[in-house]
Amino acid sequence: MAKKLSTEMVDLLGNYGHIGFTFVAAIFIGLGGGIYLDEHFFDGNTSPWFTFIGLAFGIGAGFKSLFDILRTPAARTKDKDSEG
Amino acid sequence: MEHPILFISIILEKLGLPIPHGPIGNTFLEKLCEPYMTYTWFVMIFLVVVGKLTLSNIEMIPGKGQNFWELLIGGMYDFFNDNMGSELTEKLFPMISTFALYIAVGNLIGLIPGFMSPTSSINTTLALTLIVWVTHHLIGLRAHGVGYIKHFLGPIPVLIPLMLPIELISNVARLLSLSIRLFGNIMAKETLLGILFMLAGAYFAPLPIMLLGVLVSLVQAMVFVLLTVVYFGQSNEHAH
Repeated sequence: MAKKLSTEMVDLLGNYGHIGFTFVAAIFIGLGGGIYLDEHFFDGNTSPWFTFIGLAFGIGAGFKSLFDILRTPAARTKDKDSEG
Repeated sequence: MEHPILFISIILEKLGLPIPHGPIGNTFLEKLCEPYMTYTWFVMIFLVVVGKLTLSNIEMIPGKGQNFWELLIGGMYDFFNDNMGSELTEKLFPMISTFALYIAVGNLIGLIPGFMSPTSSINTTLALTLIVWVTHHLIGLRAHGVGYIKHFLGPIPVLIPLMLPIELISNVARLLSLSIRLFGNIMAKETLLGILFMLAGAYFAPLPIMLLGVLVSLVQAMVFVLLTVVYFGQSNEHAH
């Protein structure tokens, strides 16, 4: 019982413990990439545009990682149910 | 903030080696003598020596030391087997279990006064994360060849221009989140302990934080290993 409980705990921690960091990291990478394209690749000629596009893609990536997290454990329990 | 006393640094300074006074040394020798480097070697030596002492003569009926390692290694092996399949486990078990032991011992060692967690430096955690990140792409390329790119294209062909940047960004975000989570948690623990020692060490103020520190250390090591295993398993699977 205790062992089952602890593996469940590990599963939960691993699956949901990194939501916040992954979400924020995705947004910052998108924003940073957009700013880099604007300032260094196009020398500021396109100034706000790529920043906003990058930000949008970053937010999209953040939500996509959220949906991935939601989908993975559900799929896994379904597999286990069909086996047993 | 000045770091509390680190005994390896003091020994090295007595031996005449240059100890950097900032976080980063200037010369190559100073870089080698930074605390997180010396304590990384300390953890490595500790693991090797303990392994050697407890496992030098393996017996059919295990003693205390061998029993401990059998439980730990056996548990990890079963866990990896469940999460990423036996083929990958056979190949990558030494690497991931070494990461697990190193991170767990490296986190916990910071709780002892005079020691420092090597994982409380972003250099250490980023190095570990880079190895994991590159390896999970290599596993994917090896398993699927050029078709590995399908992992980044999403389910519908029309949406490829939208999905490709999103998938790439969320993949690079793994690199950032994996390294910064471990670094941030352990550095917070170290800094908090240091401040509490400085303010009210005589009244045992750091004790509750030390209790939490044990928990955080083990949980973070576990989460790092679990995510590593999940990433390896995902890149080995077929794209959906």
